[in-house]
Amino acid sequence: MLFLRPVFGRAGRRTGGPLVNRWALLAIPVLIFLLVGFLAPLLIMAVRSVTDLPAGSEGDPLTNFRRFFGGEANLRVLGNTFFIAGLSTVGCLLIGYPYAYLMRLASPRWAGLLLIAVLVPFWSSLLVRTYAWQVILRDTGLINSTLRGWGIINQPLDLYQTTTGVLLGMTQILLPFMVLPLFTTMARIDPELTKAAANLGASPTRAFLRVFFPLSVPGVLAGSLLVFVLALGFYITPALLGSPKNTMLSAFIATRVQQQLDWGLASAMAMVLVAITLVVLFLASRVIRVRDVFGALDAE
Amino acid sequence: MLRGSTPFALGIAVVLTVAGCSSGGAGSAAPSVGGAESAAPSGAPPAEGSAGAADICTAPPKHDGTTLTFASFGGVYQEAQREGWLKPYTALTGVQFQESEESSNATIKAQVESNNVEWDVVDVGNDFGLDGNAALLEPLDYSLIKQDEILPGFATTYRVGDITYGVVLAYNTDKTAGKVPEGWADFFDTAKIPGKRGLWKYSTGGVLEFALMADGVKPADLYTPKLDVDRAIKKLDTIKDDIVWWGSGAESQELIGSGEVAMSMIWNGRGYSAKHTDNKPVEMQWNQQILTADYFVVPKGTPNKQVAMEFIAWATCANNNAAVSDKIPYGPTNKNSKANPAVVQDLAVTNVDENTAYFNDAYLIDNFDAIDAPFQAWLTQ
Repeated sequence: MLFLRPVFGRAGRRTGGPLVNRWALLAIPVLIFLLVGFLAPLLIMAVRSVTDLPAGSEGDPLTNFRRFFGGEANLRVLGNTFFIAGLSTVGCLLIGYPYAYLMRLASPRWAGLLLIAVLVPFWSSLLVRTYAWQVILRDTGLINSTLRGWGIINQPLDLYQTTTGVLLGMTQILLPFMVLPLFTTMARIDPELTKAAANLGASPTRAFLRVFFPLSVPGVLAGSLLVFVLALGFYITPALLGSPKNTMLSAFIATRVQQQLDWGLASAMAMVLVAITLVVLFLASRVIRVRDVFGALDAE
Repeated sequence: MLRGSTPFALGIAVVLTVAGCSSGGAGSAAPSVGGAESAAPSGAPPAEGSAGAADICTAPPKHDGTTLTFASFGGVYQEAQREGWLKPYTALTGVQFQESEESSNATIKAQVESNNVEWDVVDVGNDFGLDGNAALLEPLDYSLIKQDEILPGFATTYRVGDITYGVVLAYNTDKTAGKVPEGWADFFDTAKIPGKRGLWKYSTGGVLEFALMADGVKPADLYTPKLDVDRAIKKLDTIKDDIVWWGSGAESQELIGSGEVAMSMIWNGRGYSAKHTDNKPVEMQWNQQILTADYFVVPKGTPNKQVAMEFIAWATCANNNAAVSDKIPYGPTNKNSKANPAVVQDLAVTNVDENTAYFNDAYLIDNFDAIDAPFQAWLTQ
């Protein structure tokens, strides 16, 4: 993102400066990489979804899409993908907002420690963290054996292979993507503003609700969008922590790619997911400056 | 100009990053997806031993300077193949091996379609290598491979079984309280033996066959006239709340070993590891097992086709085929091959009887959508 800033950030602003300065040259390798590594495969996949047709489809280019939307399980899994992504976003927000607020209030040294606490798990493999959650959530796992040892419960709590388990895992993994934009936004809020509100007689709660919170809303929207979009593509975590009821679309795509070699249908499924994600981004761009979402990660 | 497209371009980048991150499966280990094709019990190995003198089994042609790329499923499994087959073959012929531990049907397809075939000999699961994959594979050279010595149905145009394994019922003796499950009917009887049940969530990996056998269907009738998916689902529905679904061999081993489930469907190598490597109270019931195999295939267009065929012929010979069993409880496919006596009782192929079932791979592949759709609809409910 840092590389893109000269082009898309500063120089791209409406006021002042040339549209593209010489730093923009640095972005060319990145653009080529995006073009060759991402955009071209995406186009190939789009073509494949309407040309790689199963036998007996009589050349109907929409066959793969009909197969997808005709399947009861496919639609359920698609709905499920949104449901889980939405709940994960809410979960991240509920934990991430107070956390970022705490970082904002803390001294720079403590804020740094809190930041590290969010980021350290982020540096270990997603697979390792997901397996760790399995160990924690199982009937014979850490939570249940501890609670049973203390005599608090007789029957194990249903955690492993439940929606709760998936949400716990996904929320933990996605939390940094919520905390960072939130913290960046909150750090930009002038502390004098809440003081001014207090001077004018507002209680701390009122000052927070009427002054601080509204100013932090861009961060809330940015973090939520980032988490939601990332969650839509999740695969391993729901597969390992959830039951088949929590299957997300990516897992279905993987089966088609790896086991059935049905790349036409897999492409169609992927295109559906891409299309929906773009719609989400488009709708979000009406409310949020999407640029800030992805630019917010590097601190000003 | 750039200004307007920025959010959109970044959006696409993010979408694609997400797609990229989420590919790459939660890899299943050794045997991948299930099935052997025709139902034909093998019986005890006939004492024939037709390995002639100075033929490919004992003196394969030398090819100093040739390197074959061998792809399999990694881990202990590939280690056993390396020690049993690759190293001895190098010593005999000078053929060197390069290895990949990421065997995948999708990679074979990608290599062949892009005319960039890097793999010469690939160990694949039973869901691959049938006539439907003809565009991706070289027909095997049965003038070299001794087809008549391979178990019936395990050597066909594009693939020959290299190892056999069983999909079996494993139980944790701490959880079954001295009771021994006799077969799949007991697996579905949670009144008789309480506790959770582990099943693989893949529709054509055996779960439907086991439900049907529990419901009284004979192994020979599983696919005639068709696999009765509705009946299988109805049976599965009776224990739906007690099922813990697993997605990889490692998970099944962990579930049964920890006692998270009292019984589980399992690949016999994983059950063996739970008992002997992890030292867990795990036993296996061979009755009503499904005997299946991993197969050697040769991707279409490999420049080393001839050497690949010679290696496959050598590795499936009676005197070489069982070498893998020294290190992992997977048995030979060659009827005349004698496994190490220390492990022979742990091999699926040794425990074959009239109740043993066989996957009909061609049927399962040809009818995948018809089998998978109702199963997924039930599973995701």
